[in-house]
Amino acid sequence: MWLPDWPITRLHRAGFAPPAEKLATVETERGLRRLVDVSAAAAALGLRPGQALAGARAICPDLKLAEADPAGDAEALGRLALWCERYTPLAAPDPPDGLWLDITGCAHLWNGEEALAADLARRLEAGETPCRVAVAGTTGAAWALARRIGGDAAPVILAPGEEREAIAPLPVGLLRLPPAAVAALRRLGLRRIGELYRLPRADLAVRFGASIVLRLDQALGQVEEAIAWPRAAPPWLERLAFAEPIGTPEDLERALALLAERLCARLAVKLLGGRMFAARFFRTDGEVPHIAVATALPVHAPAYVAKLLGAKLETVDPGFGVDAVTLEAEAVAAVAPAQPGFDAPAAGGASATDGAPLAAVVDALANRLGPERLWRVAPRASHVPERAVERRPALDPAPMTRKAPAWERDPSQPRPIRLLRRPEPIEATAPVPDDPPVLFRWRGALHRVRAAAGPERIAAEWWRRAPRSERDGVAETDLVRDYYRVEDTEGARFWLFRAGQHGGGRTPQWYLHGLFA
Amino acid sequence: MLCPFRLAADRPAPLPPPPALGKISLRPPKAPPPVPAHLRALLGGARPAGAVLALGDRRVDALLPGGGVPLGQLHEVGAEGLAAETGALAAVFIACLLARLPAARPVFWIATRCDLYPPGLLDTGFDPARLVLVAARDDAETLAAMETALAEPAAVAVVGEVGRLDRVASRRLQLACLRHATTGFVLRRWPYGRKAAADGVPAREREPTAAVTRWRLAPALSAAEEAGARLTPATREPGPARWRVALTHARGGREGAWTLEFTEASDEAPHSLRVVAGLADHPAAPGGLRAAG
Repeated sequence: MWLPDWPITRLHRAGFAPPAEKLATVETERGLRRLVDVSAAAAALGLRPGQALAGARAICPDLKLAEADPAGDAEALGRLALWCERYTPLAAPDPPDGLWLDITGCAHLWNGEEALAADLARRLEAGETPCRVAVAGTTGAAWALARRIGGDAAPVILAPGEEREAIAPLPVGLLRLPPAAVAALRRLGLRRIGELYRLPRADLAVRFGASIVLRLDQALGQVEEAIAWPRAAPPWLERLAFAEPIGTPEDLERALALLAERLCARLAVKLLGGRMFAARFFRTDGEVPHIAVATALPVHAPAYVAKLLGAKLETVDPGFGVDAVTLEAEAVAAVAPAQPGFDAPAAGGASATDGAPLAAVVDALANRLGPERLWRVAPRASHVPERAVERRPALDPAPMTRKAPAWERDPSQPRPIRLLRRPEPIEATAPVPDDPPVLFRWRGALHRVRAAAGPERIAAEWWRRAPRSERDGVAETDLVRDYYRVEDTEGARFWLFRAGQHGGGRTPQWYLHGLFA
Repeated sequence: MLCPFRLAADRPAPLPPPPALGKISLRPPKAPPPVPAHLRALLGGARPAGAVLALGDRRVDALLPGGGVPLGQLHEVGAEGLAAETGALAAVFIACLLARLPAARPVFWIATRCDLYPPGLLDTGFDPARLVLVAARDDAETLAAMETALAEPAAVAVVGEVGRLDRVASRRLQLACLRHATTGFVLRRWPYGRKAAADGVPAREREPTAAVTRWRLAPALSAAEEAGARLTPATREPGPARWRVALTHARGGREGAWTLEFTEASDEAPHSLRVVAGLADHPAAPGGLRAAG
């Protein structure tokens, strides 16, 4: 199958530009910008691959450009080959813009090769991927037929044995020869493949290289051609089936331990570790309860995996019995091999011996409570107190390095040890506009103020594009806060603030935000 | 590493009546005699043999087993009144102790209400970058998470904020602490709205515990700077924080109570806890001015 203008097609599929637009990919070759691929609309104006960009722009000023990305093209081609596995298990990309599909034995599922090819072409056309499909008994013939110019776009099916006649009228350039050989053949006046049949093979090989004979034989089916078929990686799955359904927790644990041993042995051989493990229990009545655990670092220690899974085992209801159990490692990553020391206790199974106990604790807590309930803190540059702290993942290595952002302490602006998530409104009596309150009521208890320090003004961050509205419980206009550190007659110390200022038409409201020691 | 203490000689502010603790004498209490080695094994850990964290003042350290707060064991820190619900005093007290522990391994802080504000820890000298915070859903989960964190030698200390702690749970935590010599702190903190006991110790907190030391904090008035006879609070600033700290239980030590002042950081004594006066209301030394800083 040939996909003409594959890079352009890929850009179309990615939504870069509508298909009717003039589109070209460019690359920089030796300092000169050249076109690599052009779309049909651009080609109609006379642009050709290899043309200098300046000239192309002169012809077509509104040409849309994209950088040539051969790696991306190849990867997309590989993905398309994977999609083609719905037709045959043997589908391989043929760089730069073709696909091989070996449909031997698969055609009967579509009631014939014509129907298969038609279905493939139809689906690709529906996906905005122009393609030319050719089905033949040999790879060379299929390649040549797919790329022929002229004729209709319908798929070409060759009956076995017809290759010789079918490719005879095709130009020699479609034999997959090096360009030098093709140019030499043309110079001699040999333009069609059929003309090569009559020439003695030994002379052809001497004159134009051995590849021409090889390609000719491949096209005619006299020489086998091997294609490297990509195969999907085997899933990291282990399965255990039982003659009798099991149901007791001890049996399930033992089954999980056995599966963990087998799976981790396979992982350890390749120096890989799993980061997510899922166990599925196939019950006799058809239900499949499952449990999943995640670890922060890739592990391949069977005891560790079994312990993590065993902690979640009680949520599984075996019902009338479990027929089979599977264990799959869903996210697999490389693990650096570590040599345990003589005195290191056997712990964790994570890669780094330094952080192994910490990773084990983090894994256990994350699997028990949920990964979002475990975090470290880092300072954020913000004056507003509730925005001054941000959360980081618990195993973040940044705090251990020198490059961690440092917590800055300002002795003149002490901060409370407890900060309420939302500032709570209080009733406060304050004498004059700028003075701290003399008494306030919080949660039903009256506090008389004995000493107070402040005010410390913290205003809204005007550089924030989308100011937070009522979410904090304080309207944005009230984010001019005057903070006071007060101590009441019993010795308890609070952090209050007055939101807003007097004289603005609305009375400012007092809030309690934090508690000092 | 030790914080020097100076005798304070100010006029003690009128204090509410101290908790019922028994007689407190002015004589410096004698340190309990050391347990002979052959009996130490029989007693099975009654005398902690590990490292201790001295608080720096001999009046406090003399009562603690081993001359300081024993590391690698469980400690319980509670508070009175409103402080029991906010948990602010206990948090700063624990942070002062944690600040002197080695910084190689992190500190786990497990709580149901996550309102710990890391910039507030900076005054104590505790680096918030060492903190790993865990949010649990209730007391049972907090205790289970503490045990999980103590099961591996991953942390240097684990702090858990719980309300109810019965003897079995505290025993389990103490054993877990001993396994890898991780220091454990239980911060007794009650939900808001619980009627605070006006006097005495509520029944729930009088339960026997397996913790090595048990502390009880209460707020105390700070030495607010008074300028002249002006009485409006607008002109008085609160001084350094002061608490009434009572050591209500110390296995291998004695009970005691003091008023500690949390001084500001200075050059020679950063983030120190300073004993202001014993609770007998007698100044330790007459006259004298408190040195600045």
